[in-house]
Amino acid sequence: MVSNTRGSPVKALLVEDIAVCTFILSTMLHKFNCEIVVVKNGKEAVNLFLDGKKFDIVLCDKDMPIMSGPKAVEKIRALGETGVKIVGVPADDNAMEAFMTAGADVFVHKPMKLETLGTMIQEVINKKNIMV
Amino acid sequence: MAATMKLGTLGHAASMLSTGLLDEQFQKLLLLQDGSDPNFVAETITLFCEDGERTIGELTKQLDKRCVNFDEVAAFVHKLEGGSATVGAQRVKNTCIQFLEFCKEKSRDGCLKTLDTLRVVFYDVSGKFKAMLQLEQQQAEATK
Repeated sequence: MVSNTRGSPVKALLVEDIAVCTFILSTMLHKFNCEIVVVKNGKEAVNLFLDGKKFDIVLCDKDMPIMSGPKAVEKIRALGETGVKIVGVPADDNAMEAFMTAGADVFVHKPMKLETLGTMIQEVINKKNIMV
Repeated sequence: MAATMKLGTLGHAASMLSTGLLDEQFQKLLLLQDGSDPNFVAETITLFCEDGERTIGELTKQLDKRCVNFDEVAAFVHKLEGGSATVGAQRVKNTCIQFLEFCKEKSRDGCLKTLDTLRVVFYDVSGKFKAMLQLEQQQAEATK
């Protein structure tokens, strides 16, 4: 069970162009009381960071129109956003190297399990609470 | 099992699981449905079916072109692969994986043959999903 008795809700950015995946991941994130922003490609994600938006966790698909997940991760890290936890969530088996080379923290092949997401959210909460 | 789903619907899902049309991921999705998300499974299934139909339409158009762009074809297949993995539509996902191999080989014939298989497999699962939703709705009406 995810516990967050001290701090503000976890801010999650979901970068995903597949509607059903967005819906399921959003439902899961809501179960952990996350504040969720959804974008449909890597460029929109990068633009949010360029606009000064802050997130605690980013869940990112790999293959998307305009800008891919790994490309977006690379650009987000290049902006100096080293604190945000970035999770690659691709459908295919060959995406791990691309995501990890780009600077993702974790790689989770679709489908994301609720328990796996819960563990990651708890890690983010624990980290936030240490920093407070 | 999801407390808010009717027994008939769960029976339908169990039969799709036993025939390999769905895998254990679908069972996990059932568990996400609760009082705060009573329509979660219905919305998930609806989105999957709508997305899937659109994607199959796009794949048909792409493979109909004189000069096929296999990267674009692969992009559409990836979308369906991702959606099917997420809802537990195992046979659709596995067919997408085969499809991607033919995209890599740039084999138009291979892609066309696999698209035919994909159509059969997708419409089989989406037809059964729609029947499940209808049954759920009828049972909901009956208990009002």
